[in-house]
Amino acid sequence: MGYQLRTESLRKVFDAWSKEYNIYAPKIFEGTGRFSETDVIRYGIVSSPEEIVWDQRSEYSFKEIIVPICQTLFYFTETQIKEADFPPKKAIIFLRSCDLHAVKRLDYMFRDNGPIDYYYEKLRENVKFVLIGCEKSFEDCFCVSMGTNKSNAYDAAVNVKNEAYFFDCKDEYLQKALQESAVSKISVAVEYVTRNSVMVHIPEELDSRVAASTIWDEYDKRCITCGRCTIVCPTCTCWSMQDLFYTENGKAGERRRVQASCMIDGYTDVAGGGCFRQKSGQRMRFKVLHKVLDFKKRAGFQMCVGCGRCDAICPEYISFSHCVNKLGDAMREVKENGKK
Amino acid sequence: MAKNEYLPFRSTILKVIRHSEKEYTFRMAYDKANEFPVKPGQFFEISIPKYGEAPISVSGITPHSLDFTIRRVGSLTDEIFENYEGGSFFMRGPYGNGFDVTMFKDKDIVLVAGGSGLSPVHGVIDYFADHMEECRSLTVIAGFKSIEDVLFRADIARWKEDGICIIDTVDAAPEGYTGRTGMVTKYISELQFKNMANVMAVVVGPPSMIKWSIKGLKDIGMDEEDIWLSESRKMCCGLGKCGHCRIGDVYVCQDGPVFKYTKLRTLID
Amino acid sequence: MDMNCGNLKKNAFRMTKKRGITASRVRIPGGHMNAAILGQIQHIAETYGSGEVHVTLRQGFEILGIPFEKIEEVNKALQPIIEELHINQGIVNTGYSSSGTRNVMACIGNRVCPFANYDTTAFAQRIEKEIFPNDLHFKIALTGCPNDCGKVRMHDFGIIGMTEPQFDPNRCISCGACVKKCEQLSVKALRMEKFRPVRNTDRCIGCGVCVHTCPNRAWTRSKIRYFRLTLLGRSGKKNPRMGIDFIKWVDADSIVKIITNTYAYAAQYIDPQAPGGKEHIGYIVDRTGTAEFLKWAMKDVHLSDKAEVYSPLYWNGIRYSGLK
Repeated sequence: MGYQLRTESLRKVFDAWSKEYNIYAPKIFEGTGRFSETDVIRYGIVSSPEEIVWDQRSEYSFKEIIVPICQTLFYFTETQIKEADFPPKKAIIFLRSCDLHAVKRLDYMFRDNGPIDYYYEKLRENVKFVLIGCEKSFEDCFCVSMGTNKSNAYDAAVNVKNEAYFFDCKDEYLQKALQESAVSKISVAVEYVTRNSVMVHIPEELDSRVAASTIWDEYDKRCITCGRCTIVCPTCTCWSMQDLFYTENGKAGERRRVQASCMIDGYTDVAGGGCFRQKSGQRMRFKVLHKVLDFKKRAGFQMCVGCGRCDAICPEYISFSHCVNKLGDAMREVKENGKK
Repeated sequence: MAKNEYLPFRSTILKVIRHSEKEYTFRMAYDKANEFPVKPGQFFEISIPKYGEAPISVSGITPHSLDFTIRRVGSLTDEIFENYEGGSFFMRGPYGNGFDVTMFKDKDIVLVAGGSGLSPVHGVIDYFADHMEECRSLTVIAGFKSIEDVLFRADIARWKEDGICIIDTVDAAPEGYTGRTGMVTKYISELQFKNMANVMAVVVGPPSMIKWSIKGLKDIGMDEEDIWLSESRKMCCGLGKCGHCRIGDVYVCQDGPVFKYTKLRTLID
Repeated sequence: MDMNCGNLKKNAFRMTKKRGITASRVRIPGGHMNAAILGQIQHIAETYGSGEVHVTLRQGFEILGIPFEKIEEVNKALQPIIEELHINQGIVNTGYSSSGTRNVMACIGNRVCPFANYDTTAFAQRIEKEIFPNDLHFKIALTGCPNDCGKVRMHDFGIIGMTEPQFDPNRCISCGACVKKCEQLSVKALRMEKFRPVRNTDRCIGCGVCVHTCPNRAWTRSKIRYFRLTLLGRSGKKNPRMGIDFIKWVDADSIVKIITNTYAYAAQYIDPQAPGGKEHIGYIVDRTGTAEFLKWAMKDVHLSDKAEVYSPLYWNGIRYSGLK
């Protein structure tokens, strides 16, 4: 059922939802940008619709809410282990279609690849998703190419037009407050984009031989391996285990997991000093092929959702989509060389 | 509700065996063998005080204990490694596929191990030492950097007594050393089998050793389909979640660490 | 030919080698302007001068080859520029009212540069409004960060932008980029401890490299903008020297107050016999002693607890042999 609300009435809905849920949405974190006097748009708890940035892409994705950047797993002493507490409140997450598709990727990693991840599940099972309709595509978006430009997997969805909010709602809990505050009941079709200025083509014949192509070499010099592309990616899930010791003897402390990146030094270090993929180009290749080849081999669907965040954040102007579009030529190159 | 796979259990250190200045074997109490049987080649995540969790291969299996051979790394002090009998470690596992001993049935088995690479195949050797009738032959080529780096001295002596063909060698030794010297590849080239098609080889060790050993095995006529490897990667979780051990579409902790060479060959780091 | 040279110079025209020919000195506070001003300068140069313009070392333009008789017209033609740049002026259409205090210089600042910790242009313009017109010989320069592209230590007052890095451990992924960059580009004030960077607050110079480097917004800038104020650097024939650290973590208001206080001090103590009424403040301080200078400069200045005032203040610099 669909509902039309105004800012004032939606604020009441937020108040109602906030009793049980934290509402997470893209918002402005003033002055926290990389450069002085610049802001960052990322996910945070909001208490009113005006706080939400409706017309820009968040630089960092929603994933931080269900895959925390830093998450304590348990506390340990010499003899005992105590599981860390979970946030007392459940979560409502406002996100766009690409990101809602990203949830499926996160679910695959944490629910299907190996046993169910207890810590992910504990957060994930308490989340409701509100899809934000996309009136227009942002710079660098290529969701249409990835087939992630529309989604029905939402609990509620909203189109925003001149401070009027048009909700479609499938979820009983969310519906209750919407119904009470709605100005009118109408049928709402969630907006989605049907074209992006960036288009990506993943070659049908792509296979791992493409690793031998020379296209990766330019990134040896261009990429600074800062890892921003993976940190902002809504489908990157890697993390490292860290033991924090409170005592001198190393027998009491906490164990936590912290986001990690295949682009950053130390990712593959093994005890004794071994390390794989030292060159930036190799890391770029490893990441790109995961997004458009390796993940699909295992999961059956592409990993990349075309949100364009990696392109937008790269301080060296390295474009993921541009790289993917070179893969066709790269395949031809390795096949040619294979024949020789 | 999903089980919390990350919670470790506490295990008593029954014995500490010092192999060298840097390498020690910890014999840990393990009484879950019925519920969670352990195979050679599998690994546990072991919490090492002051260091954190590390994936360690099982290097010995008895009904009530497991051996883990740990290399001292970084800033860890002797105290942790030497005065620990009676203490305990937290650990979780077993993880990974490990070696299925039935795959070696009636085969001529060749195990090539470099340094601590002997750990994952240690259990395989133990098994066939007790069940020699299940394979046609067992040859172990174990290479170490120097005399000081030799691991499992007592086991090697015992295996030799049991009649297993153990070729232990050190890369370089001071003058007057009477044992074997030289790389494992030197001894691979001396191997002779009546029927190469019946040979099954496992190679475990550092990357360059693996590369040259495979070449050596192929040179003596082995079919590459019969060569197996045990991969070593940074496995933070053992559960297919952390991502560090992924190569291509493979998660070493889930799909390995034991792989057919022909599978691993298609994966690019 | 009759010309009051003192008035000429005060009106921001230069005495040149060529009799009867002057040059108009156009100050651009902070070196920042709309491009339209360039057109206006071109117009003046081509209409009244030789058609040549010199880009000055202090971020101004010198319109060359102007005959004395064109001065009045040039001043009228300068009026839109003076208004556009919000230059304090005595009487309209009479050009610049003074030239003793030199143009307030600034690096490009955070309107453009990714490293700058503040808007150098805006702060330069604020200081401009506070101190002009003035005949006392003051040189002030601003730079966005401790990289000091503005070479501000060669000025009486050098203003270096700082930020106090704020750390959010919940966003840190232990990548170590900040530690590495601080070591490579700055003062090695960070070290890794228990998977997190730890900042040596004594050593930190507030350059912001960690903030700029952090890929996940674990390091961010302080809401309050801080500065390092350096004092009494100078070029010149007697004793050229670098400005020394005066206050670390000082706020903008205090800087403005200290500068205006120093004008009062200089007016009190300047050598009445100084040639052309010009004497570097540094030489005045050399004469009165630092204590007397500080008494004046710090009057009604209320520094925050964070500010660190260096003491004692001691300058060195070049001393030419044979000079006492």
